[in-house]
Amino acid sequence: MFDAAFLVRRQAPGLLLSGACYAGGLFVGLAVSAFLLVQAGVPAGALVDEFLVATFLTSDGLSQTLTAALPLVLVGLASAVAMRVRFWNIGIEGQLWLGAVAATWVALGGIGPEPLRLPLMLVLGAVVGAAWIALPLWLKLKWGVNEVISTLLLGSIAFLLVQHLLFGVWRDPATNFPVTAAFPEASRFAATGWGQLHYGFLLVGAVTAALWYLLDYTRVGFYADAVGHNIKTARAAGLPVGATITGLVLLSGALSGLAGVTIIAGTEHRLSQVVGNGYLFSAIVVAYLARAKPVWVLVVALALGAVFTAGNVLKVFYSISEGMIVLVQGTVLISILMAQFFSTYALSRPS
Amino acid sequence: MIDTLHQSGGRGTLFPGTPPALDLRGIDKAFDGKPALVDASFSLEWGEVHAIVGENGAGKSTLMNVAAGVYAADGGEQTIDGKARSPRSPMEATAAGLGMVHQHFRLVQSFTVSENILLSLGRDSRIRTPAQAAAAIAAKAAEVGLPVDPARVVADLSTAERQRVEIVRVLLLGARILILDEPTAVLSEEEAKMLLSFVRRLARQGHAVVLITHKFREVAGFCDRITIMRHGKTVMAGAPVADIDEGEVARLMVGEALAVSERPLSSPGAVNLSVSGLTQKPDRFGQGLNALNFELHAGEVLGIAGVGGNGQEELVACLTGLSRQDQGSIRLGGRDLSRASPYDRRKAGLRIIPSDRFETGLVRELSIAENLALTQVAKGNFGGTFFLNRKGMRHAATAAIQSFDIRGASPERAAALLSGGNAQKVLLARELDAGMKVLVAHSPSRGLDMKATLFVRNAIKQAVEGGAACLLISEDLNEVLSLSHRVAVMNRGSIAGCRAIGDVTPEWIGALLAGHV
Amino acid sequence: MDFLIGWLAIIPSYATPLLLASLGLIICERAGVLNLGAEGLMAVGAMTGAIIVLSGGNPWAALGGGAVAAAALALLFGLATVVKRADHTLSGLAIVAIGLGMTGVLGRPYVQKTFPGIETLGDLFGIDRGTVFGRIVAVQDPVTIALPLVVFALWWWLQKTRSGLRLTAVGENPAAADVAGIDIQLTQLAAVLASGVLCGLAGAYLSVATSHVWVEGMVAARGWVAIALVIFARWNPARALLGALLFGAADALVPRLQAIGADFPVYLTMTAPYILTLGVLVLSSLRGKTSGEPGFLGRVYLRQDKH
Repeated sequence: MFDAAFLVRRQAPGLLLSGACYAGGLFVGLAVSAFLLVQAGVPAGALVDEFLVATFLTSDGLSQTLTAALPLVLVGLASAVAMRVRFWNIGIEGQLWLGAVAATWVALGGIGPEPLRLPLMLVLGAVVGAAWIALPLWLKLKWGVNEVISTLLLGSIAFLLVQHLLFGVWRDPATNFPVTAAFPEASRFAATGWGQLHYGFLLVGAVTAALWYLLDYTRVGFYADAVGHNIKTARAAGLPVGATITGLVLLSGALSGLAGVTIIAGTEHRLSQVVGNGYLFSAIVVAYLARAKPVWVLVVALALGAVFTAGNVLKVFYSISEGMIVLVQGTVLISILMAQFFSTYALSRPS
Repeated sequence: MIDTLHQSGGRGTLFPGTPPALDLRGIDKAFDGKPALVDASFSLEWGEVHAIVGENGAGKSTLMNVAAGVYAADGGEQTIDGKARSPRSPMEATAAGLGMVHQHFRLVQSFTVSENILLSLGRDSRIRTPAQAAAAIAAKAAEVGLPVDPARVVADLSTAERQRVEIVRVLLLGARILILDEPTAVLSEEEAKMLLSFVRRLARQGHAVVLITHKFREVAGFCDRITIMRHGKTVMAGAPVADIDEGEVARLMVGEALAVSERPLSSPGAVNLSVSGLTQKPDRFGQGLNALNFELHAGEVLGIAGVGGNGQEELVACLTGLSRQDQGSIRLGGRDLSRASPYDRRKAGLRIIPSDRFETGLVRELSIAENLALTQVAKGNFGGTFFLNRKGMRHAATAAIQSFDIRGASPERAAALLSGGNAQKVLLARELDAGMKVLVAHSPSRGLDMKATLFVRNAIKQAVEGGAACLLISEDLNEVLSLSHRVAVMNRGSIAGCRAIGDVTPEWIGALLAGHV
Repeated sequence: MDFLIGWLAIIPSYATPLLLASLGLIICERAGVLNLGAEGLMAVGAMTGAIIVLSGGNPWAALGGGAVAAAALALLFGLATVVKRADHTLSGLAIVAIGLGMTGVLGRPYVQKTFPGIETLGDLFGIDRGTVFGRIVAVQDPVTIALPLVVFALWWWLQKTRSGLRLTAVGENPAAADVAGIDIQLTQLAAVLASGVLCGLAGAYLSVATSHVWVEGMVAARGWVAIALVIFARWNPARALLGALLFGAADALVPRLQAIGADFPVYLTMTAPYILTLGVLVLSSLRGKTSGEPGFLGRVYLRQDKH
C-alpha cells in the first residue's frame, strides 16, 4: 500500500527541498488553523487584523507580543537544548512550576536583602528547575528509564505541589482565592513603561545570546551535535558523552525554571493555578519549528507570542477558548511533520 | 566429479523445451542516485544450481533482491518461467514460485518455528493454526530431507537451524526457484557441504537454485553455471562451470590484477599492545570472548581471520572501550588501559577503524570537517573552552582531503553523501595521525571497490612501516594474508591458533575456521 | 471496614478507563507504532460522549460516539506516522495538543452540565445493596464486568491466532513480516485505529459512566498513566488488567478519603498514582531486555533500507 515498494531514503536532502517542505507544511498548517478559526466564529476578514496588525503593527500589540514571547523564548530554548542531545523533556511545565514556586518562596518570605531579591529568585528558580529534571536524567543514564514518561509524570506531580501550596499555606488571606498575595516591588521586574513589557526582556535577550554562542561557537555545541546524531560514534571518538548530556539537560531544566520566574516576576506578580499552563506544547513547537537553533527560537517564539496575543483578543471578542492556541500549535506541528516526508524520502519508480 | 549439463555448449538444460526459470534483462537500480545495478542481466534454467559471484558491493544481492520483489528496479525486464513478471513485493514473488533466503534471516526471534511459518502463509491457505503448521512443516521437512523442529523458539536455534527453517518455509510456500544469499558464510565446513549437496539434489528434482557466493570452491564443486558481476554489471553471464578456472573468475571479479607488495621482513619491535585473559560473558544475542591472549609489536600486522559473528565485534568493542570485559587486561605501551575510557585509550595512541563506518566511526549528519575534528576537539586542538576554531577545522579538512585524495568532497559536505571508499578515507585521515601507536582495523575494505581497497591496504602498510602496530580483523582471507606478519584465527570467541605468515597453509586455516582443532 | 468496602466498590470504575486505553495502546505498540497521543484521544472521547448524552443521546451511543471520534483523530496520527512516516514521539505530542485544544474549543457550551450515565448492575438487576457483596457489585456497570472477557479475548487473539501473530510480527521484525507478505502499513493503520477506538471508549467512559459530567482537562494525565501501564504490563493484556487494578486503587484513594471526611493533604495524596507509575517504570527498566518491548517500536520501517 502507499507505494511502499518504491520508497527510498534520501541520504541528505538539499536545503531548497527541505525549505520548500517546511514552508509547505507551515502554510497548510496555518491554512487549516485559519479555517478552524473561521468555523469557530471569527470573521475571515478579522484574521489578518487580529494576527498581524494587532500583534506587530500597533504599539500596544507589539509590546504585548514581546511580553508574551519572553517566557516562550525561555521554554523554547529549554526544549531545544534537550532536543540537541535527543532527550525528550516533556516535563517543562513541571520545571517551570517549581521554578515559580522557589521564586514565590523567596518573594513572599522576603528572603535576602532587597536589591538581591530578584537575582536570588532567578537563581533559585533555575536551580530548582534543574533539580527537578535531574531525577529523570539520572534514571535514564543509569537504567535507561524512558524520559518521555518520567519527565511528564514529574510535571503532573509538580502541578499538584503547586495546588497543595495554593490551597494551603499560600492562599491569599485577603480574598481566600487559591492565589498567593501580590509580590512586593523588590520581587518584580521593573516595568519599561511600554505596555506590559518589563525589563525581563534584557535577561531573555542575554540568555538567548549566551546560548547561541554556546551552541554555535564553543565545543559544547559541537559535542551536542555528535552526541545527538550518533551517540556510539561520539563515545568511540572519546567525547565526554555523559557530561554533554548531563550539562545540556540540566540547562534545559534551569531554563524552564527561569521561565517560571520570568512569568511571575514579570507579568503576574503572584503565583496562581494558571500561570504555567500550555507552555509544554509551546516549548516543543517552538524548538521543533526552530530546528533547535537559539536564534530561530527567538523568531518562532515571537510569532507564537503573536498567536498568544491574538488568542487573548479572540477570547474576549469572539469568546474563543484558549484551547484554540493549543489546537493551532498541534495543527501546525503535525502538518510540518507530515510535510517532511517529502524531503526525507523519495519515490524511485521504474521508468 | 559432477554431472555437467553443458557438454555441448549453447543453452544446455536438463529440461529441454522449457522456458528459463528466471530471466532478468537490462536491470537498473540506483539508491538515492548511486547506481547499484547498471544494465545487469541473469538467466536461470530449471534443474540447475547457478552461482552468482562477485566482490562485496558488486550487486549480486541487489540483483536477486530485485528478482525477489524486495527492491523495485528502476528499469529492465523480468520473466519467471517464461511469463513477464516483475514482483512488487516478496509475496508476489512467492506467488510466482520464487523464494529467497536472505543473508540476515527474516524470522521473528520470539516466535516458534511454526508461528514463523504460519505468518507467511497466505489468507487462503488451509493451514490456520500453529498445530496444523507444525504438521505441514514436519511433512515438508521429511519430504526434502532437512531436519527442522517446528515447536522450538527461533531465538534458541543455531544459525544452521534457522537457515533450514528459512528454506523449509520458502519451499512450503511453493517456491520452485530458490535464491540463497551467501548461505554458507554463516556455516561450518561440514554444515556447508550438507547444505550444498541438498540444494543440488533439490535442483535435480526440478527446482532451480541461485547461489550467491564468493567462494570458488563451492562454485566448482556444486554449481552448474556461473554468472560474474562487477560494479553492478554482469561481466560473465551463465558460463558452464566446467569451462572456467579459478584464475579467470578472480580476474573477472576484480577487474584488475591484485597488487600485493612483498612484506618487508623487519624484526618485530617492542610490544605495543598486550591483551591477556580477555573474557566477556555472552549477552543474549551475541558471542562471548574466552580468555583472549595476544601481543602486538611495533611494525607488525597481526591478522585475525574468522567467519563473522565469532566474537570480532565484541573484541573491537572491548578494545575501543565501548564495552567492558568481565576479566582480563589491555595494556598499551606499558600503560594499563583495562578500565580506561575511550578518551584515555585514544590519548595513549589507540586508533580504531570499525567495521561499520557510520555506526561507530563517522556521524552521517556532520560535515567532513567536523568528522575529521571529532577526536581532536576534546584534546583542545581546535580552540580552548570558550571558542571553537571552525576555520581551523576547515583548513585541516582541506589538507586531509588533498593528502588522502578524497574525491568530490569539500569540508562542509555532509559525511552521509560520501561513497563507501571516500568515507573510509575520511576515517583513515582521522585515525592515522602522528599519535597513533596501535591501529585496530576491522574489515577495513568491506564494501569498497578495488581501487579504494588498495588505498586502504597501502595506508595500513605505511602506518605499520612507520612504527605502529596493527590488529587487522577481517573475514576477507585475502586481506588477512596479504597484510599480516602473523595470522590468528578466531572461532566462537576464542583464538584458535596463531602462526607466522610463512607457516600459514590453507589447510591449517581451513581447519581452524571450521573449528576442527 | 466501611472505608474498605467503599474503596473496593469504586476501584473498578477507576481501573476501567486505564485498562481500556492501555489495551488499545498494547495493540498499537505491538504493531510497532509508539502512540503517545492517548491523552488527546481520551479527551476527544470524553467530550464527544458527553455531548451525545447532553444532546439527548443514549449513553451507550455516547460510548460508541466517543470511540468513533477518537478513532478519527487516531486516523490523523496514523496518516502522519504510518503513511508519512513522521517521528512517532512528536506526532503523538501533536495529537495530544490537537485533542486537548479541540475539546477546549468545541466543548465550551457543555462544561459542568451533569447528565445521566449508563445503568449500573444495581439498576439493571435490582441487586440488594444490603450485603457487602451487593454494595460492591451493585455499583458496577456492564462495561466493567465485561472487561475481563475482553482482556482474555485479546490475549487469546494475540497469542493463538494467525492474525494476532501477524500483528506482533510487524512490531517485532517488520522485515520478516514484509517477506511473509504482511502489509505492514495496513496492519499498523488498523492497530492505530484500534487504539483510537479503545482510548476513545476509555475517555467516554470517564465522562459518561464515571463522572456524569464533562469538564475541560478531565482526563487529567490518565492517558500518560496508561502509556506507563503498558510498559508495566510488558505488552501483555493479562498483566495490564492487574496493573489497571493497582493504579485504579491508587487513583480511587483520594475521592474515597474525601468521602469519609478524612483530614489529609488532598493534592499530595493525588500524586500517589504518578509516584507509583514512576516506580513501576524504574522497575520495568531494570528488567532490561526481557521487558517484552516490541523490537521495532517507534521506528520507521522502509523495505528498501538495508536490514
